Amino acid sequence: MILPLVRRFGVLVASVVASSLVVFAFMQVLPGNPARVALGLNASEGAVERMTTQFGLDRPLPVQYWEWASGMLTLDPGIEYISKAAIGPQIADRLLITLWLVGLAMALAVAIAIPLGVWMAVRHRHADGVVLTAASQIGVAIPAFLAGIVLISIFAVRLRWVPSDGWVAPAEDPVLFAKSVVLPTISLALVQGSVLARYVRSAVLDVLREDYLRTARAKGLTPMQALWRHGSRNAAIPVVTVMGLQLATLLVGAVVIERVFVIPGLGSLLLDSVSDRELLTVQSIVMVLVVAVLVINFIVDALYLMIDPRLKTGAR
Amino acid sequence: MTQPIEQEITRSRRRPINATLIVGAVLVGVIVATAAVSLVWTPQAPMRVLSTEAYQRPNAEFWLGTDRLRRDVFTQILLGARTTLLVGIVAVGVAALIGVPLGILAAMSAGWFGQLIMRSNDILLAFPALLLAIMFAAIYGGSTQVAMVAIGIATIPSFARVTRASALSVLRTEYVTAARAAGRGPVAIAVRHVLPNVASLVIVQASVAFAIAILAEAALAYLGLGTPTGQPSWGRMLYEAQSTLRSAPHLVLIPGIAIAWSVLGFNLLGDGLRDYLDPKLEDR
Amino acid sequence: MGMKRIKTTMGLALTGAFFLTACNAGASTDGDSATGGSGSDALTVGLFAEPASLDFTTVDGAAIPQALLDNVYETLVTLDQEGNIVPALAKSYKVSDDGLTYTFQLQQDVVFSNGEDFTAADAVFSINQVKSDDWTISLKSQMDVVESAEATGDHELTVTLSEPSNAWLYSMTTRIGAMFDENGTENLAEEAIGTGPFVFDSWDRGNEIVLNRNDDYWGEEPYFNEVTLRYFNDGNAVNNAMLTGSIDLIGTVQAPESLAEFEGDDFQIIEGTTNGEIVLSFNNGRAPFDDLRVRQAARYAIDNQALMDTCWAGRGELIGSMVPPTDPWYEDRTGDYEFDTERAAALLEDADATGVDVALRLPSLPYAVACGTVVESMLEDAGFNVTVDELEFPAAWVETVFTAQDYDMSIVSHVEPRDLGNVFGNPDYYTAYGTPELQEILERADRGTVEEQTAAMQEAALMVSEDAAAEFLFLLPNLMVAEPGITGIPTNLIGESLELSNLARSE
Repeated sequence: MILPLVRRFGVLVASVVASSLVVFAFMQVLPGNPARVALGLNASEGAVERMTTQFGLDRPLPVQYWEWASGMLTLDPGIEYISKAAIGPQIADRLLITLWLVGLAMALAVAIAIPLGVWMAVRHRHADGVVLTAASQIGVAIPAFLAGIVLISIFAVRLRWVPSDGWVAPAEDPVLFAKSVVLPTISLALVQGSVLARYVRSAVLDVLREDYLRTARAKGLTPMQALWRHGSRNAAIPVVTVMGLQLATLLVGAVVIERVFVIPGLGSLLLDSVSDRELLTVQSIVMVLVVAVLVINFIVDALYLMIDPRLKTGAR
Repeated sequence: MTQPIEQEITRSRRRPINATLIVGAVLVGVIVATAAVSLVWTPQAPMRVLSTEAYQRPNAEFWLGTDRLRRDVFTQILLGARTTLLVGIVAVGVAALIGVPLGILAAMSAGWFGQLIMRSNDILLAFPALLLAIMFAAIYGGSTQVAMVAIGIATIPSFARVTRASALSVLRTEYVTAARAAGRGPVAIAVRHVLPNVASLVIVQASVAFAIAILAEAALAYLGLGTPTGQPSWGRMLYEAQSTLRSAPHLVLIPGIAIAWSVLGFNLLGDGLRDYLDPKLEDR
Repeated sequence: MGMKRIKTTMGLALTGAFFLTACNAGASTDGDSATGGSGSDALTVGLFAEPASLDFTTVDGAAIPQALLDNVYETLVTLDQEGNIVPALAKSYKVSDDGLTYTFQLQQDVVFSNGEDFTAADAVFSINQVKSDDWTISLKSQMDVVESAEATGDHELTVTLSEPSNAWLYSMTTRIGAMFDENGTENLAEEAIGTGPFVFDSWDRGNEIVLNRNDDYWGEEPYFNEVTLRYFNDGNAVNNAMLTGSIDLIGTVQAPESLAEFEGDDFQIIEGTTNGEIVLSFNNGRAPFDDLRVRQAARYAIDNQALMDTCWAGRGELIGSMVPPTDPWYEDRTGDYEFDTERAAALLEDADATGVDVALRLPSLPYAVACGTVVESMLEDAGFNVTVDELEFPAAWVETVFTAQDYDMSIVSHVEPRDLGNVFGNPDYYTAYGTPELQEILERADRGTVEEQTAAMQEAALMVSEDAAAEFLFLLPNLMVAEPGITGIPTNLIGESLELSNLARSE
């Protein structure tokens, strides 16, 4: 139990190092020199060169990599070329906002998906179950940004119930926070909730077909009672796995929703930094997202190991 | 010698064609037909600005109306079907052509090599499609080609995983052991035994990946990193029409429905194929 | 009206100062601003594209001076709504007869927001900074003509030029002329210390910049005690924010197609002019646009009115050359190449270029993308074979079109004031034009008297138009939407800044 966990952790560390090299290499081929972007249209070659030196972009690549990578470890990847702002605190601020969004969206998705999925499974031979299943398919098929645009038009512009854009920290004004976060959360949760509901449905269906559940029902329990008493744990395992994967999807999917609702989260910072050619910031954000996904995968793996120690080697 | 038996097994497993499969196939069929029509006929010259009014509602001359740049919406929808299919085919093609051989290779090489493939695969898995596409678009500029290749690369891991898992179970079967004993080489085993047996799962996976690719392209177009102006794309149409959502809702609704239609179609097709090809899943 | 007559010793070389009386049409500071300086009312302005830094001495781009110039940083002279140079931190100035020596009498009792007094020494420092290596943006070359700057008194500045230049004084109204405190330039990227009517308060990156009223301002204090500049990335989102009331003013409308939503009593729509000539630029340095006939064909092929109606909702002004109507030498040149597809096709035929392949490389900006599609169709009607690329702005576009000059045509709005010379006077510039004939005219304009300058600039505008150095699609309008009670909104966007000090709210 412990040894495979340690091995998995070793793999995680190696993966993080390997992906940092990939990310760094990626940035080197990005066209557009940050110095030239800063200096503007008519910049002379001399000025661009001086600025490049000032930014430290003319140093050997291994030196640049080492400085960045060691900085990432201490959560201080450096300062931005153009704005001279420290990157670490900026990413932390923006990540917090994105995590709020992702956390709320995940919570909402789960809150919708579990009852809906169970209902769809239990009633899968009835009309209402079939209709709900079809509806969940449509929910999966609607782009999140389209949902966002339509929701803004109806609930913000037409009805004026909530603002169309912006972000208010929960500590600053809880009511305004709740108002500004409701539409982005719904837009994000709509698709993820539909996807999750479909997994819940199939997990519950699997459990319902198990012999022990058939026995329980033969003893006179309703499907719901049988499920609650005997099957909920077994059905939860695959669902939790999917939730782990969805968390990763949401982290990146938030990029689009942050654009739609003008929320200064990590995704907005990523897009702005790409356009300003703040390469250090870009690679640091990409790295944060990649590490987040790797860690989520590691946790899912570890959970699997704890649930079923037989899965010792690469049975994922 | 082993093959007829194997096929026999597969066939007997199959269940009758289900409703989901039919609906999915019909929805996808309409998209394919639309794209095919656009190859030979469009009501107006492709993407041309016409000398007519902007923002027309659907009417006899312009079946789905005109957009703000006075282009025919129906023409764009027809051409957009082609782009949508192209994005899906290329993305899924890249993912399958690289992912499937990798998965088989990983399954057949037990030692460190197989491990290395799957670990690299895990690292690639940590780069979600949208993230990879944003990075690619920054390097090569936003275009349909860049978007579909980026989506394809990001989809490789899921194909490799599905293939490997399925290939591992095939490799444990008796007829493969028999083939090994008969002195067949690994390539022959991969081609004659493993590939045919993973094919059905790969097809299901392809259908699902197709739907994901369509959504990813639309999201990229919304971020301004996908299909550029002047080229037909449903995602692009949505992006361009959002500012007139309230005054000309049809310009948002029409491409929105087209995207949802095709995603729904491929998802249903995938579900239907899974039920049809896989015996143990009843009543899905 | 509220405009006070400014006592100025004007040199002959000064443009249009005589028309001062006509200048308060747009930026009138009537109404409530008279009572300004005591109220506590806040304003939120929605703007497009956040600056990457607050330091315009090392980072180019229009967003920084738009927010900070005239609001936080002030200049010795500034522009009024008609484009005339008027005094600001200099209460008056005098030009020697040979046009080489400028003597500025500076305002007294001006204090920087860090508490330091503004003196002639600060002005000398600011001018020398531009000439030093501390300034890196290319616009700094406009200060090259200055031979020396001297404090000839506590509040008297004398600047000597190496040769007469009309452009220099004009450039002193832009960010080049911003006055810094000698001890206030340590952290320009994140902090702004100036003498203006507003004091920089905070910058929440990715979101907003907050300015507070300067309660020690030497001039008339602004009405609003707090102005928030909120940044958006997309025209639609700004419009929604305005419709839902989370902002009071849209600084620049980026989605004019949806302006209809603001018509009626709930909002006011302001439409004026800018300096942004939207140019369909040709690469004059390589085939096919090194051939005059091909350039002429492209100019005849464009139906400017239809184009503007289609891609910018009919908002804007047709200009026909590189001069906005607010410049003194403006002449209507829209008749030079009236839309004529047949003539365009014939010219192409004549140049043996029918069906010629041209790459139209667009920056990813709303006006360029929308108009590019229409331009493509119009050019194809005349026999061009157009390939459209969309390049991420600024990075990718600058790299490909601007630096490498790997393009045939592009569409970009040149927003710098009086930029005909910048854009067409230099053969190394991306337009690859800069003929010796044009350079000679431009030089004449810079050295001459007012009349000579005007005549020469008209000649230059005629030349770039007739020689079809580019196609001038239309002038980008200054489109704003505001709550009905907001007054003092600048109708025309003439300089580099969005002046906030005249804004007020009347209910």
